[in-house]
Amino acid sequence: MTLKFLNTKEREKILRLLEEQFGIKNVEGRFIMIGKERIFLYNGGLSKEMMEKISKITNLERAGVYFGKMMPSGNGEKIRLSIEGTQILKEEIRKNVFELSEEMVEEWMMGRELNIKTGKRDFLIIKHGDDFLGTGKVSEEKIGNFIPKNRRLKERG
Amino acid sequence: MKTNYEPKPLFIERMKLLLGEEEFKKYFDSLNSESFNSIRVNTLKISVEKLKERLIEKKWKIKQPFRDFPEIMIVESNLEPGELGRSLEHLLGYYYIQDISSMLPIISLKPNEKDIVMDLCASPGSKTTQIASEMKNSGVLIANEINLGRIKILASNLERSGVMNAIITKSPSDVFCKKMKSLEFGADKILLDAPCSGEGTIISNKKTLLMWNKKNIKNLSKKQKRLIHSAIEVLKDGGELVYSTCTHAPEENEEVIDYALENFKNIKVEKISLPNEFKFRQGVTEWNGKEYSSEVKKCVRIYPQDNNTEGFFIAKIKKEK
Repeated sequence: MTLKFLNTKEREKILRLLEEQFGIKNVEGRFIMIGKERIFLYNGGLSKEMMEKISKITNLERAGVYFGKMMPSGNGEKIRLSIEGTQILKEEIRKNVFELSEEMVEEWMMGRELNIKTGKRDFLIIKHGDDFLGTGKVSEEKIGNFIPKNRRLKERG
Repeated sequence: MKTNYEPKPLFIERMKLLLGEEEFKKYFDSLNSESFNSIRVNTLKISVEKLKERLIEKKWKIKQPFRDFPEIMIVESNLEPGELGRSLEHLLGYYYIQDISSMLPIISLKPNEKDIVMDLCASPGSKTTQIASEMKNSGVLIANEINLGRIKILASNLERSGVMNAIITKSPSDVFCKKMKSLEFGADKILLDAPCSGEGTIISNKKTLLMWNKKNIKNLSKKQKRLIHSAIEVLKDGGELVYSTCTHAPEENEEVIDYALENFKNIKVEKISLPNEFKFRQGVTEWNGKEYSSEVKKCVRIYPQDNNTEGFFIAKIKKEK
């Protein structure tokens, strides 16, 4: 597994996207990229140098928590936050939030698209009360769902 | 025992020898009971009070068995099979399903925010997530695991629990410790929850009885000695190591600690403090004609008949300065 420690410029790009998309101004921790798209957020005390040394003597598989994914959007890129990404930043999120009703929570957590007209075309943070439930991709007619299979509510038998 | 998995005569003989006839009966009867539905609140994501409130709203009857550890809860309601794992609260990482006895090694280790901690056989991650929770997602946490399939489970559990201070490495733990030592790395605290024959899990998984055999215990004992040897080497002076297994076999428990005491003159066995409400017994100093150091009395044996939990063994070692 190749872990890439993001440099200042790359970190600034993520921070800029977070502010543009969700009004997030402050993120604590270091960004690490695994593969071409997946961003992890590491908050531990290991220095970059030590992690590099460790990765030379053994397989370093993960560092920190899966935070979000870079997604192509128009001519540029946008960031789609994971469930944990939205939970970690919940105090910082200022805009582009969609509040689900009680009934919609179950649908959403089952991994289903929500047929809701929002009039927007963007990524929205999905929440219900204090529960932050990841990010949805909104087209004019619906909200696309990215809840991973292992985090979905099962149909009631 | 009402099961298709009958215990082998040698297993019965060994447990009788370990417990005595009368206690063996209680032990054997306890294997027919169901262990508690216990959960641990993931305080990285939600407060104890908030989760308790939510679970009560779901009409779950919640008991907090330990005054000093309110994050440990027993769900006393009759739940449908798998219901604990299917709830929204579980899917969002607000609690971790974990047997109470499996929470005790971390209560013994007492990791804190400033520590450098290694969890050497980390998957599936119940104890790793508990360590991260105690460390409040700071400090250094290295979770090592040898098997890629098990790493995927570990990574998934760490992710659901919102663990941000851990790295996951893939290596045989003894080799990993040697390599880390070569980097002049030292750990303040190490958890070695060693691979074991799993006798303590029979209460919840009767299949363990099928796989049980004495040769396996002998082989595991050798492996565990190798693991504890390399772990002690990477422990800082003044550092602490908790060795635990979910088995009762003394070859995998006291014998491993006795081996460590024989091979490292700068370590001692520490007394373990566990919740007052929890019943446990001291380590055995003699088994199958072998005598162990009297120090191993400080180790802790947990039997299913005492607390209606899985069986466990815990030892705490301190490396002197």
